[in-house]
Amino acid sequence: MKTIKEPARETKVIREADVVVVGGGPGGIGAAVSAARNGADTVLIERYGYLGGMGTGGLVTIIPQLTDYTGKQQIVGITQEWIDRLITRNAVDYPKKEHWGSLDKELVRYYFQRSFFMTRLDRVVYAAIIDAEISKYILNEMVEEAGIKVYCHAWGTESIMEGNHCKGVIIESKSGRQAILSKVVIDSTGDGDLFPYAGIEYEDNIPPHFRIANLALCFWVDGVDLKKAMDFRQNNPKEFMELNRKAMEAGGQGGFMPSNLPNQDAVVWFHNRYPNKSQIDVEELTRVEFEGRKKMIKTWEFFKKNMPGFEKSFIVLSCPQLGTRSSRRMVGEYQLSEKDLSDNQPFEDTIAIFPDLDRGQDSLDHPNMYIPYRCLLPKNVDNFLVACRAFSSDMHVQDYFNLIPHCIAFGEAAGAAAALALRAGVGVKDVDIKALQKQLAKQGVPLPDVSKKVDYKYDGPGLVSTSFTPPH
Amino acid sequence: MVKTITDPARKIKVFREADVVVIGGGPGGVGSAIAAARSGAKTILIERYGHLGGMATGGLVNIIPNLSDIYGKQHVFGLNQELLDRLDRRGGTSYPAGKDRGTADKKVVDYYQDANLGWFYLRKDLKGQPRVLYSAVVDPEILKDEFNDMVLEAGAELLLHSWGTRAITEGNAVKGVIFESKSGTQAVLGKVIIDSTGDGDIFVSAGAEFDNECDNKRRTAWLALVWWVTNVNLKKYDDFKASQPDKFKELMQELVKLDGYPGFFKGILKNMPNTVWYHCMQPQSERTDATDVEQLTRIDIRARKRALITFEFMKKNIPGFGDSFIMLSAPQLGTQGGRRIIGEYILTENDMESDEVFEDTIVTLANNDYGEISLKHPTLCVPYRCLVPRKIDGLLIGCRAFSSNDMINETFNIIPHCIAYGQAAGTAAALAVKSGVQPRNVDYKALTDNLRQQGVNIPEATGKKALPATRSKPKDFYYQKYRGPGKE
Repeated sequence: MKTIKEPARETKVIREADVVVVGGGPGGIGAAVSAARNGADTVLIERYGYLGGMGTGGLVTIIPQLTDYTGKQQIVGITQEWIDRLITRNAVDYPKKEHWGSLDKELVRYYFQRSFFMTRLDRVVYAAIIDAEISKYILNEMVEEAGIKVYCHAWGTESIMEGNHCKGVIIESKSGRQAILSKVVIDSTGDGDLFPYAGIEYEDNIPPHFRIANLALCFWVDGVDLKKAMDFRQNNPKEFMELNRKAMEAGGQGGFMPSNLPNQDAVVWFHNRYPNKSQIDVEELTRVEFEGRKKMIKTWEFFKKNMPGFEKSFIVLSCPQLGTRSSRRMVGEYQLSEKDLSDNQPFEDTIAIFPDLDRGQDSLDHPNMYIPYRCLLPKNVDNFLVACRAFSSDMHVQDYFNLIPHCIAFGEAAGAAAALALRAGVGVKDVDIKALQKQLAKQGVPLPDVSKKVDYKYDGPGLVSTSFTPPH
Repeated sequence: MVKTITDPARKIKVFREADVVVIGGGPGGVGSAIAAARSGAKTILIERYGHLGGMATGGLVNIIPNLSDIYGKQHVFGLNQELLDRLDRRGGTSYPAGKDRGTADKKVVDYYQDANLGWFYLRKDLKGQPRVLYSAVVDPEILKDEFNDMVLEAGAELLLHSWGTRAITEGNAVKGVIFESKSGTQAVLGKVIIDSTGDGDIFVSAGAEFDNECDNKRRTAWLALVWWVTNVNLKKYDDFKASQPDKFKELMQELVKLDGYPGFFKGILKNMPNTVWYHCMQPQSERTDATDVEQLTRIDIRARKRALITFEFMKKNIPGFGDSFIMLSAPQLGTQGGRRIIGEYILTENDMESDEVFEDTIVTLANNDYGEISLKHPTLCVPYRCLVPRKIDGLLIGCRAFSSNDMINETFNIIPHCIAYGQAAGTAAALAVKSGVQPRNVDYKALTDNLRQQGVNIPEATGKKALPATRSKPKDFYYQKYRGPGKE
């Protein structure tokens, strides 16, 4: 391998803080807001000019899987706060609360047609479609109110190490190379970008047939006569399917989802999957960016020419951030794995509950996944937390539980833990778990009663719909 | 004392070796990479975002203006025209028809006036009569795809999601660059490095001399955030404005008081009806610095707030905006100027009035922004030496950071200009590699001949040195007059 030698040099320290969070996606937002609200002097570093990651820049404008099959909301906290703020601005769409968990066939059909994300396991589930632009604003508002120091347009690239202690991070920006020091570092880069530099053990094996093996290049098309398109689909289902097939033959993709947001009747959303070798390989990222853009243009040109309702359509926007789904996964203090997908007992250090909805009967038998604090902790670095999809998990758990609300939940727990540990003068590994759980409960995070054994067996009606792999 | 940490010495993996390495995939970088690759150099282009086009796409500054002078004569050709021809075939651009360029026809003038696009499309002639320039608006999404096609067809290699951060130097020569990406820190080596970062990120780290003085009143001293609002009923809006002008004015004043932004352009892309564009300038009381990450953050956050204030106010109060929504905000903050290289030649307003055709002229630009001066001197020639740093070897500048004073930079640093600088830098880099010389020693005649063959409009050099010009220094900052509606 050819290398160049870079000489030693001095890098300017521009700030010192209690907690530095690298990455302003859903995990980083959760972490920074939670840390700052709990009294930590917090810095948030974001590569782009806005916050929200996949939820805004990736155009993955969906926060799904918030209720379990019974209709009980399990993910609340900062996720619900984001949605509540969208509600006050009329910029979100979700099933009515009284319908969550409903088995009513008419209702389920209605919501299924409204959005693919609003039903699972023959039931209505709580999933929110969000406005990306309003969300960018709301997230800014949340971090400003919490008193967080934000660096936008800054790429947190490396951890600064001293033995097994992480002293801070290096950022690259238009201001050049600079350093930010902190007592606790939270990696919310999505990809565990700091792992290689911090010497943190990780896995990145993903079988090609997994959802998370794919990249996405989402895009929106506006100017659609949606009623015309939907009428066509209803009255000529065969021709509709045929056209979608032909779109694929022409090098494009078939299938679109309506926006559903107020006043966006003419907007549809295209979501897709691009197989790749690795989502942290810059050559692969470049290749898929090209392939996706080409496919997007071909899709749109085909739809415009052939699909009723798309005659006057135009592409509003392709996602500024490529849709990454998974790459590095930490091997931490506890690694959530396949066997946890059937265990219904909560962990003593549970910090979040995630509804399990995508695995058919297996999901009914295991309605909720419990997340231990330990899966945010690396083995060998003493002041470091992971608050994003790079949490400690095997590929099976990762495939189902690395979406936006999950990442916010990891963040909310990590941020609170960092702040509590600093306040108590202990390391993040020695934080008082009971105090952490109490604080999270205060923030509206539902947690199980870990003192009782769970005796659960599904006794509802048999499953009618088949399980399927969701497109997100 | 500044607190520092010590970065230890280390080895960095060399990802690739090429003839020409271009950093930054904005208009300048795309121009550089296409020209270098077409001229036979093994070329690699490094871009921070996932798309090419920079301000023209990610910045939503989807306008390529000033291709002609005030009387409609086209001066800027080359890659600019080629690009527009290609976009035209896909319905991705809109511009005045040939017969309308330079016209004073009221109907045509009113069309652009009504769209609030006078800034880009209209200039006054000697009688004070507005005339129509050859300027084009482009569809950013189609442009992203077209740029991809052009770069790949030319045979350049591309690295997206890669941030070229600093130069690798040996003595006073640049040998390559370091870039950061999801693959970690890596290096690319090259024989000629072209800095198309817009801000001169690479030449700074190479130790080149530069100038970043800029009067705070200038457009180039400010940042901007663009956002688009759609589902607007423009007819309803026009009717309201026409029937209740006082009420309209009052509301707009109220919006300004709330820190909103009243000025928008009516989107004139044929394929995007009911859409308006807000190019929200962010003038600051103190000098802004587009290379200061703290300022970038602060301005970005405030700009987004202003967007929401504006949007919600319009939606609530202005007929026609009731059902509107924000389509998108620009993924890239609108930077307008930053550092400028001290090159072998520094272009100033003196050159505008001297009418000198340099021996190493690489492009003829239309000069439209200085009233009477522009009418007397409709073109400005730019010499190759403006792209060549004074002391550093192995480096060329292919972007708005070309060697110029702040006045010239304010008016000649926009998209068509950057494409042209890039086209010249890329061609020169390939020539330097081919003949084994430093970029500063490229044969001027070979360069200008080559550019002419590419369709660039370069007049024959007269050979005589221009007389010292009688300087009638422009008094006004041109863009000051265009800061808001009603001021035009």
